[in-house]
Amino acid sequence: MSDAVDYVARRNPEMGPDGTPVPSPIEPFEVEEPELGSNTMLVNVGPQHPATHGVLRLVVELDGETVVSVVPRLGYLHSSFEKLGEYRTWNQIVTLTDRMDYLAPLIYNCAYVMAVEKLMGIEVTDRCRVARVICMEMDRIFSHLLWLGTWSIDVGAFTPFLYAFQQREKVYKLHEALTGARITTSATRIGGMMADLPEGWAHGVREFADNLPATLDEIDSLLTCNAIHVGRTQGIGAISAEEAVNYGLTGANLRASGVPYDVRKDRPYYEYESYDFEVPIGCHGDCYDRYLVRMEEMRQSVHILHQALDRLPDGPMDVEDPRISLPSKTDCMSDMESMIHHFKLITEGIPAPAEDCWFSVEGSKGELGMYVVGDGGPKPVRWRIRPPSFVNLSAIPKLAEGHLMADLIMINASLDIVLGEIDR
Amino acid sequence: MTRESVPEPSLSGFDLVAAGPGQGREQSAPATAAENVAPGNPSVTALREHFAEAVFRNRICAGDEDVVYVDPERITDILGWLHDDAEQHYDHLADVTAVDYGGGRPLEVVYQLWSIPHRAALRVKCELPLDGLAIDSVTGIWAGANWLEREVYDLFGIHFNGHPDLRRILMPDNYAEGHPLRKDFPLRGRFSRAEQTRRALTQDPEDYYVPGEIAERVPQVVEGAAGTGAEGGGAGGDDV
Amino acid sequence: MGLDKPGILGSGTPTFLTTRLDFVVNWARRNSLWPMPFGTACCAIEMMASAASNYDLARFGMERMSFSPRQADVLICAGRVPYKLAPVLRRIWDQMMQPKWCISMGACASSGGVFDVYSMVQGIDTIVPVDVYIPGCPPRPEGLIYGLMMVQEKIRGESLANHAALRAEDPLAAGRPRAGDEEVSDLTGPFGNSTQQNRVSGLVETDAIGRGEDRLP
Repeated sequence: MSDAVDYVARRNPEMGPDGTPVPSPIEPFEVEEPELGSNTMLVNVGPQHPATHGVLRLVVELDGETVVSVVPRLGYLHSSFEKLGEYRTWNQIVTLTDRMDYLAPLIYNCAYVMAVEKLMGIEVTDRCRVARVICMEMDRIFSHLLWLGTWSIDVGAFTPFLYAFQQREKVYKLHEALTGARITTSATRIGGMMADLPEGWAHGVREFADNLPATLDEIDSLLTCNAIHVGRTQGIGAISAEEAVNYGLTGANLRASGVPYDVRKDRPYYEYESYDFEVPIGCHGDCYDRYLVRMEEMRQSVHILHQALDRLPDGPMDVEDPRISLPSKTDCMSDMESMIHHFKLITEGIPAPAEDCWFSVEGSKGELGMYVVGDGGPKPVRWRIRPPSFVNLSAIPKLAEGHLMADLIMINASLDIVLGEIDR
Repeated sequence: MTRESVPEPSLSGFDLVAAGPGQGREQSAPATAAENVAPGNPSVTALREHFAEAVFRNRICAGDEDVVYVDPERITDILGWLHDDAEQHYDHLADVTAVDYGGGRPLEVVYQLWSIPHRAALRVKCELPLDGLAIDSVTGIWAGANWLEREVYDLFGIHFNGHPDLRRILMPDNYAEGHPLRKDFPLRGRFSRAEQTRRALTQDPEDYYVPGEIAERVPQVVEGAAGTGAEGGGAGGDDV
Repeated sequence: MGLDKPGILGSGTPTFLTTRLDFVVNWARRNSLWPMPFGTACCAIEMMASAASNYDLARFGMERMSFSPRQADVLICAGRVPYKLAPVLRRIWDQMMQPKWCISMGACASSGGVFDVYSMVQGIDTIVPVDVYIPGCPPRPEGLIYGLMMVQEKIRGESLANHAALRAEDPLAAGRPRAGDEEVSDLTGPFGNSTQQNRVSGLVETDAIGRGEDRLP
């Protein structure tokens, strides 16, 4: 059997009636000359490798230059967030969430407190809801920009990386104005935000949203029709819609296969159903479609940002319940009751009912689920994160099979993984 | 942020302080979820009809989340039916995880299902007694369950019978301190830091970088439901 | 180079020739430091931001990120290091050529940070020798640049005359912890209230065990 036929067969496996690929009749990696022994070669990529986007390790079995199988090795960044969370009060955990996905910290901050608020039955204020939408959409762009930069480096283009990081620096500055930190924002609290939006912040976000499409257009013109980029990504790492669902892919990786599953549309939170935006979907499910979907998602996020900024209401940011929100510093210093509330909240924490609650948002990498279990006390029994890139990455042996070694790098880049959240 | 006056319509601040946390709060969420209430999700009723004796109870958590407790022996039947039946069609397995409540209570394995066409969510739970931590794998239904189940095995020590590749995934292969997310596992681990450091550096980064691992990818069937005696198939023991 | 051997260029004390040679060598070394970016977590993103256009590490002669340890001069360990990654870090350090320096970037690399947990190395100085610690969680790019300038400052003070003393490293130490057991215990000892943290939430009794009997004897 010639290599070319084998390559095509592996790229386009026939689909059975139930959507699973019919095993190819070709057995290409049968050792044809047994006296030579195994003709495959093992290559170790990572854990310290510039193209694995962190400390991911891939053990690749190669036949010539064709990938026979990939065995991902995880755990090189296992920081035991979930165990540590059981030793922290509900509000203290917020600090851990942004260290998990340092590419989109505000989405994780928001998703976590939204889950806890649902568990505790807290309704946050209108201003807080819109502010969190702004935060999440801004960080979706923030994360996609980093993906775009590293993606372009992997494809061999350095300029988009610099363009993307120029825009990222603007988000860094907005983070800093909001929270004082560039990456580890910890901006949310149960029942509200760490602080109200600083003066002029909304204007800064609007300015960023106004300027971003120009940069995206520039990068678009550099990459989208670039022959090298197209040649290295089209038809690479394709997965059908049924398989993508079966593998649990979410986010842009699933939508590139043509499944319009977006938590913002399918299980709306924070009035996402009232925002006017489209969910881009692809049709081939390959790396190129994943690229296009993410590019369009950034534009849609800009669109949402404008709408959210338009409707940002005045009013209080935190719920006005002294058992949930800390009193203001002035009150603490002048009012006895406020001081006692402050003391009680800090030392005892907020109790949660003995129940469990699952809440998922559309993160930048996919469906980000938070599963919190309370026992009536101020600390969780279990705090579980449904890690989108962990599940997305589990499809990489399937995606990479039959492609070239160089394509494996693009497939890995197209999945948009972050190791802090995969290993937790 | 300015909150000059905190309006407290019904409660005086001192009353709250005297009552303690959680006492004076209006019960917007019930303290304990209602058991066997009328479910919001029609799948629960359908499940009760199809698997009458295997569905133990159902509850509604956090306002609107349906939870079904089922028989661990029949988990693949139940989840397979939920996946395949056209009325249910739970095609997206969002999450597989486990919860250890401590105090000798059984471990819960939690399946979080979502139906993309019907836009419905369902949480299925199985309770496993501490001396029988084994359940059938659902990798045959959802390929995405593979790593999620490996992670539960790694961190909780629950065996998934029929899993194609049940090895530790996050902890090192030579990890000997047990399963970290169990409640009886201390936060800083069982060994001293010096011992942990020494052990960490004795890992050979290449020891599993051998052709054997890829060549021997035969399905590893762990003998099921034999309690802690089934530890032999995996890496690392529970008791150190 | 043998400059430290008595009888060749004096008796181990600095002479005109060695001091001038020191100046030239140190000038060359400190202005073309090639970093080995061992980025694992959040700090790696700040390291990338430092290398991007706004901060531009290339101004300090660090144009080339050397992803191969064999051509690198300074190991920047950016981010948390779990025990599973420890042998990798040690091997990369062992693979780097002398002269080499090490920067521990961020709280997690320097001390474990908030992660006083079962899986995390409590400071990479138990694994490899560290020259400069950069505090912060994560440090700003300015912080990283300042740390690199401190490494440059450190190089400025080095002399070929005591080269052997500065660069002494036992070949047999490769792949082993830098610190002995007692030093590891000292360096990783719990501080703050992290070990006072108790899982019991106060309302429901669980069998979470007390700190005293956590460890095996």
